[in-house]
Amino acid sequence: MHELSIASGLVEKLLEFSEKNPDKKIVEVRLAIGELSHIEEEQFRFCYEAITAETPLEGSTLEIEKIDAMVICPHCAYRGRPKYWDGALSGIPVATLECPSCGKASEATDGKECAIKSLRFTENTALAS
Amino acid sequence: MLEASPDEIYDIELEHSLLEANAKLAVENRAVLDRHGITAIDFMGAIGSGKTTLITKMVERLKDRLGVAVFNGDATTSSDADAISAQNVPVVQIATINGCHLDANLVGKGLKKIELEKLKLIFIENIGNLICPAEFPLGSKARVVVVSVTEGPWMVRKHPHMFLGSEIVVINKIDLAQAMEVSVEELVDDVHKLKPDIKVIPTSTKTGAGLDDFERALLAV
Repeated sequence: MHELSIASGLVEKLLEFSEKNPDKKIVEVRLAIGELSHIEEEQFRFCYEAITAETPLEGSTLEIEKIDAMVICPHCAYRGRPKYWDGALSGIPVATLECPSCGKASEATDGKECAIKSLRFTENTALAS
Repeated sequence: MLEASPDEIYDIELEHSLLEANAKLAVENRAVLDRHGITAIDFMGAIGSGKTTLITKMVERLKDRLGVAVFNGDATTSSDADAISAQNVPVVQIATINGCHLDANLVGKGLKKIELEKLKLIFIENIGNLICPAEFPLGSKARVVVVSVTEGPWMVRKHPHMFLGSEIVVINKIDLAQAMEVSVEELVDDVHKLKPDIKVIPTSTKTGAGLDDFERALLAV
């Protein structure tokens, strides 16, 4: 459950923002999570909800943008989507680092992200009026 | 409840990586290690895959030739640290208190606990877990994944991410492959499908098979 430690880091950052900006209430948090990251979305949402209960962030929603994996091959200069391993198991295809063009080892350039992109907030004064 | 209408909602851009704090500490750990001429190698793998035994075997072989220390990550017990302590090398136990992975902060604290001057090599044994540690670099120069044939034939396919970020894979307990009806060749093949340039070493700590290769691979890091 590393989702819990990553969600805790997120909440810490957001509460820092809330403290610095007491007039703003965060309503939505937009995240970018890469295909190659190891973050399970449902577990992450569950952790977020649990940690934010009874904090100024309670009720805020997570908007998660999935970032596709991209690779670059140092051997043949291929640049693009990775090769997928279909039928590795019955689940979803697995992204690999085998170059789709020459079969040698490629390197991931995108898809490892786990970042806060932006926040949506309301002015607390607007709510009070 | 009063809700803000859409025209009362504002956006701000806030590019902030949630993994950056750990990644930065990992870079700091690496700088400390480099300054002292120490190579740290991180061992990941499931509980029971043989990480502790493999580390113990390597410590046994190397300790008279170069300064070796071991960091033992464990959620609650000190059994692994105790086992390695018998080798009379510095051992730092890192209790994560039920946390599922080591992080760079904990390893950084460990580095302050031992005398680095005489060391050349630090083995870091991560928590027995095949998913969580992958997201948290520690500052090591190479990551080793230890899997064993007793974990069944689908081990590699089930946990692909762990292998993508590693440099060496050990397929352990090959003396039991026949009894388990698991093909070592297929496991090696699976790892190479994920990452063609990764080094895969089949071993058995029981018979000693592959341990020379593994030792060479560690010294070449």
